[in-house]
Amino acid sequence: MNVTRSPVSVWPQLEPILTSVRKPARYVGGEGNIVVKDVAAADSAWLLVYPDAYEVGQPNQGVQILYEVLNERPGTAAERGYAPWPDMEAVMRERRIPFFSLENHLPMRTFDVVAFSLAAEVGYTNLLNCLDLGGVALHAADRTDDDPLVVVGGHAAFNPEPLAPFVDVVCAGDGEEFVGELDDVVRRSRRGGWERQRLLDEIVRIEGAYVPSRYSAEYLADGRLRGTFPRRDGVPYRVRKRTVSDLDAWPYPKRQIVPLTETVHERYSVEIFRGCTRGCRFCQAGMITRPVRERSRATIKQMVAEGVANTGFTEVGLLSLSSADHSDILGLCGDLADSYEGTVTSLSLPSTRVDAFNVTLADELARNGRRTGLTFAPEAGTERMRRVINKMVSEADMLRTAETAFANGWRHIKLYFMIGLPTETDADVLGIAELGLKVAGIGRQHGRRNKVTVSVGGFVPKPHTPFQWASQDAPEELARKLGLLRRRVASDHSLNLRYHDPKPGVVEGLLARGDRRVAAVVERAFALGARFEGWDELFDYGTWMRAAEEVGVDVGWFTRRERGEDEVFAWDHLDSGLEKDWLWKDWRDAIDAGTELEDCRWTPCYDCGVCPGLDLQHQTGHLPIFSAAPS
Amino acid sequence: MRLRVRYAKTGKLRFVSAIDLGRVWERALRQADLPIAYSEGFSPHPRVSFPDALPLGYASTGEYAQLTFAAPIALEPGVKALNTAFPDGLEVLAAVEVAEGAPKLAKWLRASCWDVAYPAGVALAEPVLALEAASNLPVLRERKGDPVTVDLRPSIHQICCAGAALRVTLHHVEPPVRPSEVHLALRVTDPDLPEPALVTRVAQGEPAFTDGPGAAEQRPAGLVEALSGALVPPLPDCRK
Repeated sequence: MNVTRSPVSVWPQLEPILTSVRKPARYVGGEGNIVVKDVAAADSAWLLVYPDAYEVGQPNQGVQILYEVLNERPGTAAERGYAPWPDMEAVMRERRIPFFSLENHLPMRTFDVVAFSLAAEVGYTNLLNCLDLGGVALHAADRTDDDPLVVVGGHAAFNPEPLAPFVDVVCAGDGEEFVGELDDVVRRSRRGGWERQRLLDEIVRIEGAYVPSRYSAEYLADGRLRGTFPRRDGVPYRVRKRTVSDLDAWPYPKRQIVPLTETVHERYSVEIFRGCTRGCRFCQAGMITRPVRERSRATIKQMVAEGVANTGFTEVGLLSLSSADHSDILGLCGDLADSYEGTVTSLSLPSTRVDAFNVTLADELARNGRRTGLTFAPEAGTERMRRVINKMVSEADMLRTAETAFANGWRHIKLYFMIGLPTETDADVLGIAELGLKVAGIGRQHGRRNKVTVSVGGFVPKPHTPFQWASQDAPEELARKLGLLRRRVASDHSLNLRYHDPKPGVVEGLLARGDRRVAAVVERAFALGARFEGWDELFDYGTWMRAAEEVGVDVGWFTRRERGEDEVFAWDHLDSGLEKDWLWKDWRDAIDAGTELEDCRWTPCYDCGVCPGLDLQHQTGHLPIFSAAPS
Repeated sequence: MRLRVRYAKTGKLRFVSAIDLGRVWERALRQADLPIAYSEGFSPHPRVSFPDALPLGYASTGEYAQLTFAAPIALEPGVKALNTAFPDGLEVLAAVEVAEGAPKLAKWLRASCWDVAYPAGVALAEPVLALEAASNLPVLRERKGDPVTVDLRPSIHQICCAGAALRVTLHHVEPPVRPSEVHLALRVTDPDLPEPALVTRVAQGEPAFTDGPGAAEQRPAGLVEALSGALVPPLPDCRK
């Protein structure tokens, strides 16, 4: 690794051009609570990049947590970077301004580690663009001892194969402990003047570290994957994910960065628990973050009190995958509502399940008087379909919840659904409209101006879920189903139907379940100008299809093919803790019988494999169930 | 309790828009634990008002705001706490309590004094003299997509320069005249005049005059700053 470091800020080049680009505040740094260290004197320097626009990336919890964890280490400097908007990219290329950090405005190549947070697949071309702008070789194989180490982590990194040629290291699972261990190795490498290959060999030994160059992918004659195998001894056959067992020991963010310009979430956010065992079969987040680990009420209250005081935010978000499932949620919400009653500080509880209890919670949190909208995610329109996806909400539950909400003064209910689910029929699709119309009808009984929004997205099968074997609907089929919905609700004025263009879902599906051969598509699409796949105004389907065709990848083979039991997946060597046998059984239960599965926090263990594999248990206040036998 | 403050917006903060700046103020007031009052209604807003917006990219040591507090605050410690909470580049420079029945803040802000820094070596004397001598200064402006010609002459209270530094005091008119338009007017004489490196609003207040040689003759002489009454003079050697 490069031992000497002579950081030169790009600010003098940047400052004169900032008034010529849109929203210049996203490139200036200088936000509240940032940590600005002397990078020249640091033992190690990290650049944490969220490969999307500043306003999307800045509020990301993962980056925020690791930024604080790393900067609390003496001698370690961590700075942040975000993908430049196309107008800025053009100026940077014209003026040869390299990709830079926001704290000291240092070029990417100044840093020892460039770590990308991959919350979703739609940032992959931006990742390549950031490296390219930073003057770092796109292919890991082309990097020299002077180049930074390119690391990825986050949910989408649970299938990193479409990025395998471009990244040096993948972090599987929670990053809090991992980054410290990687930082230790990087420092030893700098002190010892190691060559890059030695550094990578050492990193392989860190639990949760996957080094793609140490593995090779082999294929069968029919094109399916034979397996991804270690190239040499000492490289683990499977990489086990990292799991932080005690979230109270990692109470981050403590000092959340306060942006100077508008972002998508303007709030102090605290994760009240991590993991979810609801068992929704489509949900990757719920599968890969097991087991459930709760933060205590005392820790959460302290984090909120300090977080609000040192940021000045007026909103507090209590985050998790299903917030009302915290074993102490009523007490927690009551305490927080008491603390902020009569102030302008508002509390929000995103991701709540459909039941009247959640309306009670929402009422509690909205004591300050603002009862605008409530959001629920029934996900599917009929009970049959909901049994298949294991989202156990009855129609009666939904209608009772709506009745309670509108009766308590809420005026707008938003309902989230998916179409394109396995075994879905037109009746299931129309069920979405029927349910939405019934909820709208209840709304009208409580007030002429009450509204219901039905938001519909196309289902994309994800790795490490029971639906990883499923076929994805073609965009034409999704468009036809959306047409059915549109016609059914057209005459109703209190129901507002929202939906997305189904085409970006094809690219998301390709990247989600792609293997190493798909990396060529990503690289070609980037070369053809693809950027910001998550932005409708910038996404270009034609570019992606052309890229796939040029490199000889059949997109349909990856997206619209139902896999068999013996299929080897490109992500099988990344161990999320889930037993593949269990996932297969759950998949068959879903499509053969539509059998539901209870939450294992309050019913007996069904052997998904996570807890014994990680030598962990749920860390919750729910009473454990020791036996299913009736007493 | 109501306060009027003069504050600076410099450095990186000059790239923060007027809309975003309101949120920065609100969060700093909350971090400083100052009892700012909020408006009534469905979505309460902090009672901080800004008489006019500084164009994006300009720096300023002459921005003004009026704050209404729900409870009395101690002036000096309050300002200190607020300045600690502000990000680098925002700073309250002066604060006064508003007397009952005082005229609106905007009434005190009749003109702005701007410093326009051109790259070193730029000679401004000739175009400035030509601009002063002109009886009208037509500048093309876009209004609702249509080009219109505006005469800058009546809006310019005083213009002077020293080397590559320009100081211009502009009357507040509607729609406002910006230093970028003065730059366009200077380019009529010197088409090669480069873009300024930095534009800073120095202060706002009343245009100032001195007595001329003749009886009842008044000459422009800078600007009287709104909160302190201090004179912001023209550049010392602008006549040379």
